[in-house]
Amino acid sequence: MKTKLRARLIIWLAILLPLFLLFFSLSLGTYPISLSQVLKTIAAPFFSSLEVPQSLSAIIFHIRLPRLLLALLIGASLSVSGASLQAIFKNPLINEYILGLSSGAAFGAALSLVFLGQNFPPQLAAFIFGVLAVGGVLIIAGQSETHLITLILTGVIMTAFFSALLSLVEFFASPYALQSLFFWLMGNLSLATWKDILLAGPLMVLGVVILTLLRWRMNVLSMGDEQVKALGINLRREKIIVILAATLATAAATSVAGIIGWVGLIVPHLVRMAIGPDNRWVIPLSASVGGGFLILADDLTRTIAAFEIPIGIFTSLVGIPLFIVLLKKTQRVWL
Amino acid sequence: MKIKIKELNFNYPNFYLHVPELTFEKAQVASIVGPNGAGKTTLLKCLSGIFTLPPQTVWINGLDLASLKGAKRARLISYVPQELSSIFNYTVLDFVLMGRAAFLNPLSLPSQTDRKLAHEALAYIGMADYAQGSLFELSSGERRLVLIARALAQQAQILYLDEPTTFLDPKHEIEVLDLIKKLSRDKGKTIIITLHNLEMALEYSDFIVFLKQGQVVAAGEPIQILNESLLEKVYDLKIQIVDWNGKKFLVKKNI
Repeated sequence: MKTKLRARLIIWLAILLPLFLLFFSLSLGTYPISLSQVLKTIAAPFFSSLEVPQSLSAIIFHIRLPRLLLALLIGASLSVSGASLQAIFKNPLINEYILGLSSGAAFGAALSLVFLGQNFPPQLAAFIFGVLAVGGVLIIAGQSETHLITLILTGVIMTAFFSALLSLVEFFASPYALQSLFFWLMGNLSLATWKDILLAGPLMVLGVVILTLLRWRMNVLSMGDEQVKALGINLRREKIIVILAATLATAAATSVAGIIGWVGLIVPHLVRMAIGPDNRWVIPLSASVGGGFLILADDLTRTIAAFEIPIGIFTSLVGIPLFIVLLKKTQRVWL
Repeated sequence: MKIKIKELNFNYPNFYLHVPELTFEKAQVASIVGPNGAGKTTLLKCLSGIFTLPPQTVWINGLDLASLKGAKRARLISYVPQELSSIFNYTVLDFVLMGRAAFLNPLSLPSQTDRKLAHEALAYIGMADYAQGSLFELSSGERRLVLIARALAQQAQILYLDEPTTFLDPKHEIEVLDLIKKLSRDKGKTIIITLHNLEMALEYSDFIVFLKQGQVVAAGEPIQILNESLLEKVYDLKIQIVDWNGKKFLVKKNI
């Protein structure tokens, strides 16, 4: 009974936390809007008696809401992908960045933005090169894929390879394209539009939904390969499905906001510390905490300085020290 | 369930396992013994489907093992590895629940029935109170038992256990072996284990297989096949068999 009550509490917290942060964050920004004004503006389309200045609803619906929704989706995507990859690679240090997925996806998106123009959606290019990067890492690391050091080194190599390709794209890009590319690569939400949400949102949602459905299975997949086989699971097939879904979500996120590192590592870690390693809870809670975390991070990048800090830089600056603390604290015992 | 092997050949670089013919009877405990590197674990992994064999090599109640894929196989056979190795610190119950994977489609969560079976498995091994405890807090004896509980939750009629007693103190060793015996007697499970402790193998097995360098040296009922020259042949060691109150003890011969 006690565990049931606790479970219910966690579920409500998980649903309400990002919604609360989202609502609260709508009031933050260069142009101050009070919470009651936010509430009024959101309610206005439903109640004709409420009158709200045009400028207010423009700021909230066209600037802040798409940006915050995108932050929510990206935070959820990166965190759920991270948690899933950590489970199937049996290693809590793994994330999309270490596996080379982020840089592959970033290269794909950049390639498409600079050279392929409007005809080729950057999401597709990001996905293709994301898959190529992870696939390459897995093929090179081969049988030793459970061996952390080989896997990480291969990831480093793959990241270096795609970074070089990315530099090549930058080298050939026109000064104008280079500027926007550079801005985007640092991890940026400031240009978020409804179009981004429409294009990348469904892909992120699809990836996250697939991974969430597979959440209990990931407990089993986190066992040693031979055990997984002996438990009657088609290891190869299910691993590939998880990798593809994680790549889809991450690539879609990268295609609209550049590389936002460390979220996929920090958030699942925090969730596991709070509620234990059972992926039935870790995966959905990573979605909610990850979404909330990125909204919060976005709030801070907009408010702590006179200028806006790109969110990718911010998450790295905050995430790395936090990760070092976690590493020291947990030592070798992983939650 | 009856397990039949015919012309099993398995190669590693520098290693060759060959079993021309061997039958394990229903509801018996069989032990595979032999020196390190004899191929005991390899044989067990071949039988469990972890290593893939060509068709028409192993039959389970007349069914070809090679035709049994994934979940279908796991409902018949469960394999208990030597060590419980988990990177994540799951609760004991969550770990045992994983034994239900073969009965669940990839998108579903364990049901109440699955949880009930996991609890029952834990109760059977005498660890009902440990359900909410975490894996990393268990002693090595308890870890061995929890592995067996997971195999029980899998509800397979065939159990393979790879060195279930290694690194255990005598008390836990006997506890685990008693449990294995009980599973074959009470639940009619066909059980094959690999063992290093020969005295225990003699005491607890209905059937024993001696392996050396990938070859079957002898197989049969322990009392019938055991003699000093066999032991010398398998282990390159002069061993004297001492009978005491119907039990057999092995003593190194002083020459």
